[in-house]
Amino acid sequence: MNFFRYFVRRVIFIIPILLGITVVAFIIANAIPADPINANLPPNALNDEETIAAFRKKWGLDKPLHEQYLTYLGNLLQGDMGTSIKWRTPVSEDIARRLPATIELATLGIMFGVVLGVGLGLVSAIWKNSMADYIARVIALIGVSFPVFLIALVFLTLFYAKLGIAAGPGRLHILLRPPPTVTGMYTIDALLNGDWKTFGNALSHLILPALTLALYISGIISRITRSSLLEVLNQDYMRTARAKGLRERYVIGFHGMRNSLIPVVTVIGLSYGNLLVGSILIESIFAYPGIGFYMFRASTSQDFPAIMGVSLLFAFIYVGVNFVVDILYFFLDPRIRVA
Amino acid sequence: MSSIYSISSSIQEFESPSRSQQALYHLRRNPLVLAGLIIAILWILIAVIAPAIAPVDPLHQDLANRLQAPSALFLMGSDELGRDIFSRVLWGSRITIPAGLAVTVMGSTLGVIIGAIAGYAGGLIDEVLMRITELFMAFPFIILAMAVTAALGPDIWNAVLALSVVWWPRYARILRGLVLEVKAQEYVEAAHSAGASGIYVLFRTILPNCIAPAVILATLDIGTAVISFAALSFIGLGPEPSSSEWGRMVSIGIDFFDQWWMWLFPGLAISSLVMALNFIGDGLRDILDPRLRGE
Repeated sequence: MNFFRYFVRRVIFIIPILLGITVVAFIIANAIPADPINANLPPNALNDEETIAAFRKKWGLDKPLHEQYLTYLGNLLQGDMGTSIKWRTPVSEDIARRLPATIELATLGIMFGVVLGVGLGLVSAIWKNSMADYIARVIALIGVSFPVFLIALVFLTLFYAKLGIAAGPGRLHILLRPPPTVTGMYTIDALLNGDWKTFGNALSHLILPALTLALYISGIISRITRSSLLEVLNQDYMRTARAKGLRERYVIGFHGMRNSLIPVVTVIGLSYGNLLVGSILIESIFAYPGIGFYMFRASTSQDFPAIMGVSLLFAFIYVGVNFVVDILYFFLDPRIRVA
Repeated sequence: MSSIYSISSSIQEFESPSRSQQALYHLRRNPLVLAGLIIAILWILIAVIAPAIAPVDPLHQDLANRLQAPSALFLMGSDELGRDIFSRVLWGSRITIPAGLAVTVMGSTLGVIIGAIAGYAGGLIDEVLMRITELFMAFPFIILAMAVTAALGPDIWNAVLALSVVWWPRYARILRGLVLEVKAQEYVEAAHSAGASGIYVLFRTILPNCIAPAVILATLDIGTAVISFAALSFIGLGPEPSSSEWGRMVSIGIDFFDQWWMWLFPGLAISSLVMALNFIGDGLRDILDPRLRGE
């Protein structure tokens, strides 16, 4: 199968899922709350007939359910996710403003997490049942057993409050001005502006939350890497590779890693869901002004439109990431190309 | 638990040693499972007898002694209203543990039923149910639970309900596969030809032979259920703020960052319980079901 056909096939596969997500979101938003008007408008607007009428008209609430869905989808396609109750601003604008901060954090987090997770898994598998294996597995177990908000609080106390070796909450030191906006990601914008001081400060604010995220997702990645590599290490072709006289480094690095990579890539895609959830819990503790912190504040103040907006966005991101993983399979797994 | 043993021992009748003997053997050899069992049983015991052993009422306010560091009087310190954290942590187990169990039981039962129907009925019903299952799996499940809880209104039982609603897809998938496998067996055909009704065959002949992996998966999942419930509660989509639920206590504690006892102890309570459950789950997986080992 050539790449183009594979790609098109995956795209066709993803469209009903994206539509399905909007159906689920629509059902949650319109069918579950006892009264959608109550759930979506600020309390003081509930006496205002005009606002309520406008809301009904905009979302087609007096029409039958399937037409309501089409109105919802139409509004969504125009980037309209409703208005936040707490901030009184359009949810899509709020999200757009905060998204770069979360992308910045999530990217760094997943990089650290993959390095840590694959590294620990590799150590565990190669030196199976050694001391190193046990230590690596305990770290992985902490990552899956300790709630990520506790890890975040402990890191913040230890490295910021007690030892003073990491930057505290927020994105940037209060006395520093954010770099001129190009991408919205402070580190990249600062670099584009040639401002090393701001770059360093923004990066230092990212390190601790990113490490927390990394520890959170590395648990599952290292477990899969370990079991997947252990399986591959027992294969006949590994013995053949050794028998040919290849160096151990080459045997594991080339024959072993490459063949154990497929489940690892799968789990990285799946753990992106954890990453998004983790961003909510971690950003709320580091007062990091991204989507996660927005979601935290929205849900503690029961800002329903904002919660729905973020949920929908996260579902889309999750599906998008797993789409990319599917595309990667094409390059990693020769069986797909032959089939 | 007993169902696993009875089913597996009936399957393994002619082998020796029996599965349960093997399980005991593994338990002795695997100290982590034993440690997990002890900690988990201890927590369940605490949940049962918390009213008797907690020094004071978890809601009792003592404003003269607010934000006290841990001492002989307040073993784990006191919070912003002078409530005793130690008593609150003990009482909190009465919310978190039943909530985690309820999510696992309700979610897995729902998944088992949906998966069994899909696998047994086949055809269009199977197709529709499986597409719905895939759709649910396309969401990061906690996010979906957050949206559902927000729609229902924040409350302990709504959080449990929302988590159960997102919990079932994996069970449905596994069960469907197993039912398809078992459906093709001769004894199922025999039951049919003996005149048993479809529903009888599904629930009495097929399901008992598929249930063990679902029970094991559920055991592996309790830890995740507990931690997910705590996360929902942490972001305010669970019990009300004055509740002594652990996730909620940590969440209140963030505003009192320097009073570390306010968030550390409830946080450690969650961690110790979840870690114990994970020890048990991992051990059980290795002992009972080689099919799940590769996951």
